Amino acid sequence: MLHHPQPHTFQLEVTINGEFVQREIPTHLRLLDFLREDLGLTGSKEVCGEGECGACTVILNGQTVNSCLILAVEVHGAFIITIEGLTDTQELTEMQKSFEDHHAVQCGYCIPGMVLTGEKLLERDPHPTRGEIKYELSGNICRCTGYHKIVDAIEGAADNRG
Amino acid sequence: MQFHQPTSIREFIELSSNLSDQFTTLLAGGTDLLPRYERGQALPDHLIDLKKLSDLYHINIKDDSVQIGALTSIQTIQENPLIQFEFTALHMAAHDFAGAQIRHRGTIGGNIVNASPAGDLLPALYAFDAILTLIGPEGERQLPVQEFILGPGKTALKQSEILVSVTLKRNGYKSIFQKVGLRQSMAISVVNLAFVYSQKEDVFDYLKIACGAVAPIVVTLDKLTSTILDSTSKPDDWPLLIEADISPIDDIRATAKYRKQVVINLVKAFLKGQLDA
Repeated sequence: MLHHPQPHTFQLEVTINGEFVQREIPTHLRLLDFLREDLGLTGSKEVCGEGECGACTVILNGQTVNSCLILAVEVHGAFIITIEGLTDTQELTEMQKSFEDHHAVQCGYCIPGMVLTGEKLLERDPHPTRGEIKYELSGNICRCTGYHKIVDAIEGAADNRG
Repeated sequence: MQFHQPTSIREFIELSSNLSDQFTTLLAGGTDLLPRYERGQALPDHLIDLKKLSDLYHINIKDDSVQIGALTSIQTIQENPLIQFEFTALHMAAHDFAGAQIRHRGTIGGNIVNASPAGDLLPALYAFDAILTLIGPEGERQLPVQEFILGPGKTALKQSEILVSVTLKRNGYKSIFQKVGLRQSMAISVVNLAFVYSQKEDVFDYLKIACGAVAPIVVTLDKLTSTILDSTSKPDDWPLLIEADISPIDDIRATAKYRKQVVINLVKAFLKGQLDA
């Protein structure tokens, strides 16, 4: 959370998980805090707060980004997908199921970012090598699993999609 | 904090001419700026977001040069096939740059204007003799990157001036980038190096080596390369010639002694590999 002694406000309009949102926000509000505190979308996590760990990953206009490194004012007019908006049904996505099937989750804090990164990777490259999966995941840190099962899960999701 | 988002360079100049530099900060990708605020640096009174300046996003390929807009993302640079083939060191630096989330957001202009001694695109830009185009209230001017970066975080940018693009000459040189960090990704470089060269069999007819994180600014190893180009140096002389151009320090990531040795080892390995080939 950032602070400023003389806050200014901004009339923000942004589409989040397909829903058009209008809010008056302070200009120094981070996107991550806007999602978590203002909108209650707590799937995006804060761990390092400085762009190292990827737990706050969201999809901004089609690309993965760290929402802790972006001010909410910067996304005026943009389209954002968070882990909550990955699917509009109650069903898990192929990727989420694969994380479950491969037991790729321990504490779970990094998983929303891992899943979003995996989804975007397969969208671009439906059959990545293990090396390519690891490269893509280099901005997402996990302190529990040792990564093997996370890579297995993304590889598994690619196989299941055929 | 007042947030400004000019939509043209002219609007930017008018806006920033009316604001004091002392209370104003420019925002590009934000991947270096936001962590500073997170660590407690005071937010500015005025933040000027440059991302609506559509003239700053382009990769223009001409017969003899390539011009890269200052807001081009690291990811876009990495994916550009011409940069990959003709400016391989720059491609490699963009490839090894942080993680995907940062590459999507970080910009070439931000990496230059930050003027970090360890900025990963900088050695390649020095070794390719990149020319920067700046626009300000007094018009447009060109500066070599070597004259633009004055020290850590210090540049030749004047009040209300903006970095618009980076131009690289298409000389057909080969190049590579090497980086040593505490881990492969997401780590600030302990040492980073770009080699730009052209050779016939085992004789170089062009050689430039730029090295980051071993001095307050990126340095080129000119003492070494000039003796190699005129064939007067012997491999035994290389370490001293390299040391003459660098001044590494001890910091949280590595000691000066380690940095020096890594640079010597990497340069030797490159030269031996090329000359034996």
